[in-house]
Amino acid sequence: MKRMINTVQPFYIFQLMLLMLSGCMKDKITKTYQIRTPVYEVLSQFRESIKSQPAAEMSATGKIAVAGNYIFISELYKGIHVIDNSDPSHPKNASFINVPGNEDLAIINNTLYADAFGDLVTFDITDPLHAEAKNFAANVFPDHSIYYYSGADNVNPDSINVIIGWTVRDTTVDYEPGGSVYPVYYAANCANCATIAANLSSSVNTGNSGTSGSLSRFAILNDYLYAVSYSQLRSFDISNKFSPSYKNSFTVDWHVETIYPFKGKLFVGTNNGVYMYDAAASPSNPTPLGAFTHVRGCDPVVADDDYAYVTINDSSACLGFNNELQIVNVKDLNAPSLVQSYQLTHPVGLSKDGNLLFVCDSKDGLKIYNADNVNNLQLIRQMKDGEAVDVIAMNGLAIMIAADGLYQYDYSDINNIHLISKL
Amino acid sequence: MYRRNFIIIAVMIFAAFSCFGQQKISMCHFQFHSINNVGLLEGQAGSAFHLQTINGVQYKSWFTGAGVGLDSYRYRTIPLFLDIRKEFGKTPNKILLFGDAGINFYWARDRDVKQFYSNDKIKNGFYGELGAGYKFRLNAKMSIIFSGSYSYKTLEETGGDYYYNMPFFLPGAAAYSPVAERIHYNLNRVLLKVGVEF
Repeated sequence: MKRMINTVQPFYIFQLMLLMLSGCMKDKITKTYQIRTPVYEVLSQFRESIKSQPAAEMSATGKIAVAGNYIFISELYKGIHVIDNSDPSHPKNASFINVPGNEDLAIINNTLYADAFGDLVTFDITDPLHAEAKNFAANVFPDHSIYYYSGADNVNPDSINVIIGWTVRDTTVDYEPGGSVYPVYYAANCANCATIAANLSSSVNTGNSGTSGSLSRFAILNDYLYAVSYSQLRSFDISNKFSPSYKNSFTVDWHVETIYPFKGKLFVGTNNGVYMYDAAASPSNPTPLGAFTHVRGCDPVVADDDYAYVTINDSSACLGFNNELQIVNVKDLNAPSLVQSYQLTHPVGLSKDGNLLFVCDSKDGLKIYNADNVNNLQLIRQMKDGEAVDVIAMNGLAIMIAADGLYQYDYSDINNIHLISKL
Repeated sequence: MYRRNFIIIAVMIFAAFSCFGQQKISMCHFQFHSINNVGLLEGQAGSAFHLQTINGVQYKSWFTGAGVGLDSYRYRTIPLFLDIRKEFGKTPNKILLFGDAGINFYWARDRDVKQFYSNDKIKNGFYGELGAGYKFRLNAKMSIIFSGSYSYKTLEETGGDYYYNMPFFLPGAAAYSPVAERIHYNLNRVLLKVGVEF
C-alpha cells in the first residue's frame, strides 16, 4: 500500500494542479433567437390589396352573413370568404375578399361593411365575386386599431405605415440560465402595433339587409350601422351607403359581445347580461331601455316579439362557469324577466325562425327546438355533424358554421330535417 | 455523424467481446479489459458526480473500447463514447494518456423538466474528454487507475414559449410562430477519477 502511495504521489500533484485549473473552466452558453424587423407599406398602398381574390381555403372561420344567393364568412383577421349558394346542396367557395384585420361584417343590399383592424371598409358587392372597396372610414374602431398611434388625430393614409411582413434574422448572445435574456421581436419602430384581443361578429337585420349570425357585432337597422366592441356601441349613418358617417359612441357595459337588431330595438349581449335600446326615435343615439343581467358568461342573443333567447357559455374569454339557454320575457323592454333556463353543453350561436329555435351547442352539434311553449322547449332534432358555432335559419334552410366548415340543413319538413351539404 | 459513431462503437464492442470469448486462444493478441471509474466534475457551475464504465480490448500498449457513463454537471446526461488510450512505461505501473469522444444523451431530471417550457426540447450533444492517468497494478488481473482530464459536453435546447409575445394577427406573423430559439451549452470541466481495471 505504501508502495502504491509513493508511486502515485506525483500524480496527486497532477490532480491538484488540475483541480486548481478548474477555476479557469468557463462554460460557454449562448442563446440564438430571431430578431424580426417589420416590413412596412404606406397605408394607402396597402389598401389597394383589400379586394376580391381567388377563393381561399377556410380555416379559422368566424362570423357569417347571408345575402341573396351568397354566404359571406369571415376568416379571422384575414378576410371574407364568398360562397355561391345558388344551389344549397352544392355550395361553391367562389372567392375571397382580402381584408386584413377583419372580424365582423354586415350587409345591406349591394353593400358590405367590414372592419379592418380600426377601419371600417365599405364594399360594393353588386358582383359579390368582384367586391370593390369604395370607402375607408379611418380609425373608427380605435380599440382595434394598429395603424394609428393611440389618440393621434393623423389618419392620413399616405403618412401611415402598415406592417405587411417581417424579415427575420438570427442573433446569438451570451446567456446564463435563469437570466433575463428574452427574444426581441421588433427591431424597428412598432409603437402602433397595439394588440387587439376579442373576436367579434356579424348580425341580423331588417329591410333589405343581409342576414347575419347571432355572434355578430355589426347590426344594420334602417339607415344605421351599429357596431359594438369591448364597452362601446357606435352608430354610423349609412343613408349614403358607400360613405358611412360616424355619428356617436357610448358605453354599454364592459365585455360587450354581440348586437341583435329587431323591430327598431337593439339587443346588446355582454358578459353580464342583455341590454336593450330603442333605436327608432333617435337612431344615432339609441335610448337605453331595460337590462337583464345574468351570471357571467359569453352570451349571444336573438329575439322575437315577446322573448329574447340568450345562450350563456363558460368560454374562458368570458370568465363564465354556466352553460345554458335562458329565455327572457321582453314584452316590457323596460322590465325584462327570466322565464326559463335550459342546461346545455356549451351553447354558442342561435337563430329563430317562426316557432323553431336553433341552438349551436358546440360538440353536441345543432339542436332544433319547438319553441311554441317557452316554458317547455321540445327538442325536435339534434344534428351532430360538426362542432356548431353559429347558425342562420330562414326559409327552410339552416346555414351553420362549424369549426370544420359550413353545413346546410333542410328543415322545410320538420319531420325530415336533413343535411344537404357540407363545405 | 451520430450513426457513424454508433457503427464504430458497435464494431469495437463486437471485437472486444469476440476476443473476450477467445482469451485463451494464443492466436488472439487482444485482451478484454473493463475500466470502471467514479469521478468528480469541477466547473463554473460547481461540482458534480460522474460515473463511467469502459469496456474494450488491449493490444500491446494500446487500448480501445466503448464507454457509457453518467454525467450530472448542469444537466444530467448519459455519455456514450469511444475511448482510446496509450500506456507508457516498462514497469508494471503505467502512465497513460487517453481520449474519449461520443454522444451525450440528455436524461431529464424532475427539476429540469419544471424549468423548461412545455415545447422545449433538449437535443443530444457531443461528449469529449482528454486526460492523463496513472495505472497502479494490484495483481495480474486488477489495477487501480487515477486520472485527471479535461471534459467537454454540449447540449442544445430548442423551443421557448414566447408565442404570446407575438402579435399573431399582424400580416406575415403566422409564418414565424411559434417562435423558435436555441440555447447552446458548451460545458468545460475538469474531471478527476479513480477507477478499477480488470
